[in-house]
Amino acid sequence: MTSRAGYIGSIVFERSRRGGFRRVFLALVIVSSLLLYVGEKVKIVRLGYQTEVLEREKRELERANRSLLIEVSSLSSPARIEEIAIKRLGMVRPAKENIVIVKRKRDTANTK
Amino acid sequence: MERRGRILVVLLLMGLGFTLVALRLVYLQVYQQAELAGRAERQQERLVKLEPKRGTIYDRRGTELAVSLEVDSVYAAPAGIDNPRLLARQLSRILRKDPRALEQRLTGNKQFVWISRKVDPGKAEKVKELGNKEIGIRLESRRFYPKKDLAGTALGFIGVDNKGLEGLERAYDKALRGVDGWVLAEKDARGRTVFPGGSSFQYKPPKPGHDLLLTIDEVIQHIAEKELDAALARTRANGGVCLVMNPQTGEVLALSVRSAALGKQAFNPNEPQRSKSAEWRNRAVTDVFEPGSIFKPFLAAAALEERVVHPLEQVDCSAGKIQLADRAIKDAHEHGILTFTDVIAESSNVGVIKVALRLGKERFARHITAFGFGKKTGVDIPGEIPGLLKDHRLWSGVSIGSIAIGQEIGVTPMQMAAAYGALANGGTLMKPYIVSEIVDHGGGEGKKFQPQAVGRVITEETCAKVSTMLQRVVETGTGQKARPAGYTAAGKTGTAQKIDQKTGTYSLTDYVSSFVGFAPANSPKLVILVMIDTPKGADYYGGSVAGPVFKAVAEQSLAYLQVAPDDVGGRMLLVTR
Repeated sequence: MTSRAGYIGSIVFERSRRGGFRRVFLALVIVSSLLLYVGEKVKIVRLGYQTEVLEREKRELERANRSLLIEVSSLSSPARIEEIAIKRLGMVRPAKENIVIVKRKRDTANTK
Repeated sequence: MERRGRILVVLLLMGLGFTLVALRLVYLQVYQQAELAGRAERQQERLVKLEPKRGTIYDRRGTELAVSLEVDSVYAAPAGIDNPRLLARQLSRILRKDPRALEQRLTGNKQFVWISRKVDPGKAEKVKELGNKEIGIRLESRRFYPKKDLAGTALGFIGVDNKGLEGLERAYDKALRGVDGWVLAEKDARGRTVFPGGSSFQYKPPKPGHDLLLTIDEVIQHIAEKELDAALARTRANGGVCLVMNPQTGEVLALSVRSAALGKQAFNPNEPQRSKSAEWRNRAVTDVFEPGSIFKPFLAAAALEERVVHPLEQVDCSAGKIQLADRAIKDAHEHGILTFTDVIAESSNVGVIKVALRLGKERFARHITAFGFGKKTGVDIPGEIPGLLKDHRLWSGVSIGSIAIGQEIGVTPMQMAAAYGALANGGTLMKPYIVSEIVDHGGGEGKKFQPQAVGRVITEETCAKVSTMLQRVVETGTGQKARPAGYTAAGKTGTAQKIDQKTGTYSLTDYVSSFVGFAPANSPKLVILVMIDTPKGADYYGGSVAGPVFKAVAEQSLAYLQVAPDDVGGRMLLVTR
């Protein structure tokens, strides 16, 4: 049997325990929310750094690509091609005598 | 009491302190809020300017003629440099710059100075390896002309700030340049750039410049430049122009201008600092020259149109000389009696002047003005001038004869090519143009340029007569060396005396040798103008100096365009499918 004083004491204890839990729970919620918020912020900053690195990498690759395109364009200039064709491959421009004009006879398929 | 009094004093002092702190906070947070927030922003935030990509210039087949590429530029913050002399020495070894000049730049309290702009990637890497915090690298756009000097004077060039300074780069700078963009970045404690996420991310993308599609054909341009250079080397001339145009549309297919002094390389827009302004000037539109005999076909066209002469009418040139007011004008060779067709074929000054006198100055002036002389052609190249043509009311007694033989008139090569285009296409003067399209990558429509007729200048019938006369020039006249193998051609030679700057009279040693014509004669695909300035040597005639260039350019360009030869002596194979 519990005495009246003991009964009241247990109620007070129960209430104070519940209040303590609530406070702890509330503190946990607040702390975890803050941690979540800070975590997100840190993540954003980290992603910002990563984005910058990737952007730089992308720019470098684009630059290299454009640089290669310029080189291709420079190497395919008619002056260079002509020089290689004449000097290295021994090609010549056809003389007038070597030109034969091929003229197609009028197509008779439509008139049939 | 004493103790209580002390406590009160301490409390009062503490209260006063807290009040002062609170007041200071209010002052900073409320009254100075705007200024301090601005200062913090300036320290933490950085507005990064994003340069737009300058548009690419392509030839008519889509080959790149001018391309932009991001390259490194080196800068320094002299305020934080401890030993400018040592750093200057290190940088001068890498960048090949004067160490004293560099030291001067690196000394002082400035926060930013350029050390070297748009350097090669290898040099930039070496600068980075120095590891000096006060030396930085910044990306800047640099213009490359991959074909080097090909069409250099037509393309022009840009300055270090990416602004077009000459040629098409200048004329179409607004379209090519694009619009700057920006991004608001933040700096962290170590000074690194961080792009903030979420709503605080502020960004305006740069709008890239438009691309230009030219009417120039890379291959025909190469042919024109190669043949012109060979002629300039052969004749040791001061310069020259070779212009190739489509007579039906007015499209400029090649525009080769050489103004360089003898032995000097052609203008390369990759290195504009190595050339003088006279070398990058586009003489095809900025300079006038007295055309000489290449102007005679316009007198012929006007006279035939007004029916004051017939192509087969005989003209007496036997005297070889004609007196006009106080001036006697001679023929280079005595010709006797010639038909009017032969007057043009043999380029007789006497015969032409006699017909010009029959025509009269009013009618002659009206016709040559209609051909576009004395007015800008409107071609989209900067610096075009209208040429020199006096109002006929101001002509002297000699003027009609002088102008008929191409003296006392100043024309630009572009005007002359456009006017020959009218003779080639049946009598319609076309406005020459060099940009066929502005391509907009931003979703806009861009702009396409269509052939534009200025107007009909003579009838088709007269054109056909003049064309026949000009074919005679190439077949039996002064222009035989211009006759292309396998193709018919029509054209006119010109050997114009230059004005002697010292005496103010016509020089007996300096000439402008030229040939203008079109091919194939009966179905013209190309108008080709060749002008050689002051060739050296005994043979300075237009037919001998400029004629062979016309021949070579016509043969190669027509073959490249797959135009079937029309003068092959019956060697034709009939194929049945």
